[in-house]
Amino acid sequence: MSGVSVEFKRVGKRFGDRTVLAAVSGTLLPGQVLVVAGPNGAGKSTLLNILAGVLRPSRGEVVYRGSDGPVPRAHWFEHLGMASPDMAVYEELTALENLHLFARLRGLHRSDADLGALLEELGLGSREHSRLVGTYSSGMKQRVKLAQAVLHVPAVLLLDEPSSNLDGAGHEATAGLVARLRERAAVAVATNDPREITWADARIDLAL
Amino acid sequence: MRASTLLSEILAVLAKELTAELRSRVALNAIGLFGLTTLIAVAYQIGPYQIQEQDRPHLLSALLWIILFFAATSGLSRVFVKEEDAHTAKTLRLAARPIAVLGGKYLFNLILLLALDALIVPLYCALMGYAVRGVGGLLLVLVTGAVALAATTTIVAAIIARASGSTTLFAILSVPLVLPLLVMLIQGTRAAAASSELAAVLPALQGIVSLGGAVMIVSVYLFPAVWHD
Repeated sequence: MSGVSVEFKRVGKRFGDRTVLAAVSGTLLPGQVLVVAGPNGAGKSTLLNILAGVLRPSRGEVVYRGSDGPVPRAHWFEHLGMASPDMAVYEELTALENLHLFARLRGLHRSDADLGALLEELGLGSREHSRLVGTYSSGMKQRVKLAQAVLHVPAVLLLDEPSSNLDGAGHEATAGLVARLRERAAVAVATNDPREITWADARIDLAL
Repeated sequence: MRASTLLSEILAVLAKELTAELRSRVALNAIGLFGLTTLIAVAYQIGPYQIQEQDRPHLLSALLWIILFFAATSGLSRVFVKEEDAHTAKTLRLAARPIAVLGGKYLFNLILLLALDALIVPLYCALMGYAVRGVGGLLLVLVTGAVALAATTTIVAAIIARASGSTTLFAILSVPLVLPLLVMLIQGTRAAAASSELAAVLPALQGIVSLGGAVMIVSVYLFPAVWHD
């Protein structure tokens, strides 16, 4: 997949009378990690949801720009991978079934071996691949969420608190994954975790 | 360029729905339990002998569709709400084309409705002594009815899922869409019961197909806005 950059200009969001995100500008560039930091309630998740296109900004604009020019909003999801605390995978399916589903939805045909290797990279051993996700711990579910976000090698990767619920080994696995993907992808990470802040090539600090 | 066809994506959503449903059986249990309970209550209170002969075609056709519709509503309305409740809606929204989601959910609801028809209609005919002269006509009405009813309940379910899953809203939104459809289904069923000629059900079939087709076309254009905004 060719590189895609994401420009956001004076993006803001209001819910009723409450401003949850003031005018924020920046650019996600291929090969770079943009860390969005700030206290709880500062609008980190809101900004990532706006960049993903699942939330419309009250002001400002977001532009996905590929090699052929701006990408229509309806096609952003084709270039995008995302994991956030308000997302889940299907608990009635196994980890492998979940990944096969999301691969098929993205027009990809991945083998069990490919998807199993991705799960193992994230620290889920092969014995766990065929267990229903509903029987997983929260940390194991987080690993499957991360796997669905990256299985198509997205050009834009948005991670909201990627190490939440993960132990030290899980954090290391996530860091390795981000390091591998950042070579070609534009990555944004919303976090307050000091270990994740060190991934930053660029940083936005949001205030309350 | 996306290598997959739309059909493959629709079938992926359908396969997910079927697998998840067969493991959780939430909708199957709701629909089956509601359908059977209502049927047995009606059969116990009314049975085959409590209705005057001249009233039987009208009342038995109407009762059949009342049972089928309310049993279906108890399960089909959850097809999108469950995604919001389980926080999988956003994951699905960011991975699939809206039309693939709509298509997969629609086919799932259609399969549930056909299964409900297959369970309830023979039992209803036996318990209520409902003699149907035009079995072929009745099957046509049931199948086209399921196609149209699944289209209606699927788009209404999508709308209420975005309105915090209010089942009251489902009922309110369903009325203008479902009422004319139910009237035509009852008319078609009555015609099939009275005549073995397929021509007898054609007027009702035309109405059912027209209304179902119109709802499908509107759904295809409306759903992306409902799903994303």
